[in-house]
Amino acid sequence: MTYKVIGKRVKRVEDPRLLTGQALFVGDVSLPGMLYAAFFRSDYAHAKVISIDISQALEIPGVVGVYTAEDMGDDWEPGPPLVSPPPTLENVVFNSRRQVPLVKGKVKHAGEIIAVVIAESRYIAEDAAEEILVEFEPLPAVVDLEKCLEPGSVLVHDDLDTNLAAHLIQNKGDYEGARKEADLVISRRFHLDRGAAAALENRGIVADWDEKNQHLTVWDATQSPIPIRNGLAARLGLRTHQVRVVAPFVGGGFGPKIMMFYAEEMVLPWISMKLGKPIKWIEDRRENFYATTQEREQIHDVEMALSKEGHILGIKQKFIHDTGAFNPYGLTTPLNTQSHSMGGYDVQNYYSDLTVVFTNKTIVTPVRGAGRPQGIYIVERMLDIAARELELDPMEVRRLNFIPPDAFPYDHEIIDQAFATLIFDSGNYEPAFDKALEMLGYEDFIKNEQPRLRAEGKYVGIGIVPFVETTGVGPYEGARVSVEPSGKISAATGVGTQGQSHMTAFAQVIAEQLGVEVSDVSMVTGDTAEFHWGTGTFASRGAVVAGNAVNAAAGDVRLKVLKLASKILETPEEELVLEDGMVRVADKPDQSISLGELALLANPLRGAVEPGTEPGLESTKYFGPAFGATAFGVHGMILEVDPETMMINIRKYITVEDCGTMINPLVVEGQIHGGVSMGIGNAYYEKLHYDENAQLLNASLADYLIPGSTEMPHIEVHHANTPAPNNELGTKGVGEAGAIPVPAVFAQALENALHDYDLEILETPLSPNRLYELLQKKEDNS
Amino acid sequence: MENTITVSVTVNGTPYQRSVDPRTLLSDFLRNDLELTGTHVGCEHGVCGACTVLLDGEAVRSCLLFAPQVDGHEIITVEGLGTLDNLHPLQEAFREAHALQCGFCTPGILTTLVPYLEENPNPTEEEIREAISGNLCRCTGYQHIIDAVKLAAEKTDP
Amino acid sequence: MKVEGEHIFKGTQKQVWDLFRDTEVMATALPGTEKMEAVGENVYEAVMNVRVGPVAGKFSGNLVISNENFPETYTMTVDGRGKPGFLKGVGDVILSDQGDGSTLMKYTGEVQIGGKLAGVGQRLIDTVSKSIINQAFDILDQNLVERSAAEAEGREAEYQGASEKDYAATVAKDLVGGVLSAPWVKKLKGK
Repeated sequence: MTYKVIGKRVKRVEDPRLLTGQALFVGDVSLPGMLYAAFFRSDYAHAKVISIDISQALEIPGVVGVYTAEDMGDDWEPGPPLVSPPPTLENVVFNSRRQVPLVKGKVKHAGEIIAVVIAESRYIAEDAAEEILVEFEPLPAVVDLEKCLEPGSVLVHDDLDTNLAAHLIQNKGDYEGARKEADLVISRRFHLDRGAAAALENRGIVADWDEKNQHLTVWDATQSPIPIRNGLAARLGLRTHQVRVVAPFVGGGFGPKIMMFYAEEMVLPWISMKLGKPIKWIEDRRENFYATTQEREQIHDVEMALSKEGHILGIKQKFIHDTGAFNPYGLTTPLNTQSHSMGGYDVQNYYSDLTVVFTNKTIVTPVRGAGRPQGIYIVERMLDIAARELELDPMEVRRLNFIPPDAFPYDHEIIDQAFATLIFDSGNYEPAFDKALEMLGYEDFIKNEQPRLRAEGKYVGIGIVPFVETTGVGPYEGARVSVEPSGKISAATGVGTQGQSHMTAFAQVIAEQLGVEVSDVSMVTGDTAEFHWGTGTFASRGAVVAGNAVNAAAGDVRLKVLKLASKILETPEEELVLEDGMVRVADKPDQSISLGELALLANPLRGAVEPGTEPGLESTKYFGPAFGATAFGVHGMILEVDPETMMINIRKYITVEDCGTMINPLVVEGQIHGGVSMGIGNAYYEKLHYDENAQLLNASLADYLIPGSTEMPHIEVHHANTPAPNNELGTKGVGEAGAIPVPAVFAQALENALHDYDLEILETPLSPNRLYELLQKKEDNS
Repeated sequence: MENTITVSVTVNGTPYQRSVDPRTLLSDFLRNDLELTGTHVGCEHGVCGACTVLLDGEAVRSCLLFAPQVDGHEIITVEGLGTLDNLHPLQEAFREAHALQCGFCTPGILTTLVPYLEENPNPTEEEIREAISGNLCRCTGYQHIIDAVKLAAEKTDP
Repeated sequence: MKVEGEHIFKGTQKQVWDLFRDTEVMATALPGTEKMEAVGENVYEAVMNVRVGPVAGKFSGNLVISNENFPETYTMTVDGRGKPGFLKGVGDVILSDQGDGSTLMKYTGEVQIGGKLAGVGQRLIDTVSKSIINQAFDILDQNLVERSAAEAEGREAEYQGASEKDYAATVAKDLVGGVLSAPWVKKLKGK
């Protein structure tokens, strides 16, 4: 299909406001009479609260109130379960324990809230929070993913007799049978550790209860305003129309701003209703390190069975996933790991045993990639090791195992994070993979460049990793598109926006359908007053699910426009064209009517709207895919390691990305660049260091290092296009893609660069220090 | 307030006088007292650079200064660079090159680059990377920012 | 976090033993100490201002001496909390006679830190604590001499301490020194 607007590198409509400091973020909301909140949080990761003394805090002038769990009475309850366990699997163990608004009895991770101070300024509120005296009885912390399951371990949740949060097994084919046929069986243990999403904007909430209107407005830096609205209404005993949740401009989400029902999201609206005043809280960076969710800690024992030619006969893995102190987000993240541990390969026999544990660490929910980077890391590392043992070209081994293009839709016979059968809808992997090899100059590098550089004493290595990403999962999103009498278009969808360019990309889809300029479309995202059906921005689903809902609604408006214009212009619909905000008769340009005039005619002030019709040129439509759209990509890198400092220089970084139809390639490239930067952080700079007491030891941006401009290479992006067959636009998600393969690419390239050392990397994140340690260990052993 | 101090400062060409708590951070002063919320706060410890403003023409971190320290000085914030209808050439280039996604770090990057480009009108890629190495961006991977700076430099180059 | 180290004091085992029980002397050795007093046998309460890089604030807590085996060994348990976080530690102290009138003190222990002190101060705490301990030992050395002299002369001892400012300046110097002695810095400097 040829498009006029879709697929164009359109400049963003949201930019002028963002560039001039005129865009509204939650932190910018200022209301008359607004009060400010500060929290007293536990420094201990695991401790009994013996007593709380708020008397000194209350004496500080300007303090309006101090609240503890006791004050909430019957309104105190844990957050709602967000994602239940998969109903289609048998023998699933799932112990649901959700976060609480204010600590009652026992602290379960550092940063949990003991008390809230409300004061006339943030400065006063913070002063007062420091005057709260809490007596704790510290308890040993549950930290280790394996020891916590041993009998007699300290328990995170005393009402459970275990730290087991969940257990399930997914099985396809017959791994043990396949193993017997194998020429090579390799097994390895992998340690994958935690990182932070570290959006530049911390979380923030302004809650405003209007007593006279009996209406609550909440500005929330969330990815999912609609579920938050629904949940708040239910908890506060309000009707949904009494609650409006607005996610205005949000300064980066990357997962943790999902509909978590954070403690602050539960408690601040409640206090606003008590006081009848607007209350504001903006998270500080240190709070963000303790109280905002994190991801990626898993231990995997993996076995891969192969033929001597390099065919994967089967994969077996047993892994433990750390969910932190609570598991409100169910099994989404580790299910993604299970779904991605076969990569884009045709694996007929797969056995995956998942154990989820509670620890006294910060809660785990998806972070950009959401379990997928772990799955890709495992399978790609195993293939690298297998290729070495079989003395095969690692790239050939991959090519050999790709799901062939005629095998789609490919049924994996297990379930995915959305509890649907894991089906890869479409793909064409080999050409994209070859393109990546070509872009990186793989053959020349291996044959000529690397030997030459090695002869010069340089440690240069190459890494190339293909990956898949299941994107665009259900349940559904919706959109409303409306032609105004001015001829301009207003539209709304439920997903919030945190930098994904929704206001532009969705406007392009509408402009394509209705023949208007992108700048004529005003798109509202993330305001429940404008659209209140939907779930949110996660799982790389905005462009796929909301995008296709927007397309459906705009397409329906187009039909209405054509129908009305046909009547007025007395011309059959098929002879009409929509362009420049007008409906024209194809070969008679003077016979036309503007969209604005049509909108007025569709909404008459006199006369009657015919039965069976609706006024206006407006439509609301929904899109709910039965299963997701699977994107594919390849990342490749050539890096040089300084053997003394272990600092790296990325000489070249390339990506080939197949996300189907691109609505705006400029935006797609931006998403990939950003994903890669997070991936590079995940691979080589960013690790949350917890000590044996579950104390986080690098809780600032001075200690937790996210990549800066000098750590980032130039990234060359190539687009392949295998349109998604199950949605009209043909789009696949790309938001998380960039981050997914990077740790695996790094491991391969570092091993290749340090070939002298015969190093096998079985962990991520690495760092210059950690790499140095690994090499020292290697030297000590030999 | 019992203990306040008067701060007189010119921001984006407009003189302001306000009585503030002496410990008020410049970032809070700009955002709360002057309602210039374009200056963003990302870390409050001088690492991320989102709160960068120009103090007498020089890029500084407003989260590391107290408001009384700028008494008698001149500040330019992102609001002082260009307007919605008349973007600064660098802002225009940022839009052209898709150099911002969530836009939260953008004000600080713009205010860092404006004086930099005045002194270095034709920077190389490496120099641009160095120039913004004190500003964190979590969305873009910096590449489109670098493209935008090159674009702006080309356009202003006579 | 493990702490360990040793120091030779110019005094007998008994003198060193007594020195460490003298709250007045100990307070001089740790500037920022607002209060240090015995509240029971071998139980002391202290209030101290602590600064580790960007983390600063008042700590209050107690110190308990146990497992006494005069004049050779004892165990020290500290437990403190304050705005900057918390600190909990157990350590063993061994005093051995050097045969020349001096005493070798060896200490080993395990310290847990939490809160801001851990989250923000962790990267500096090793160097800062070493600097604090070394400075304290220097002051204790001087005060041990003074203590013995005063005893011999039958007068009141006049203990000297360092000002908080001087103390902080030395910590800062040690911090920078620690950084500059790292191998990669040498390499950079060489370039």
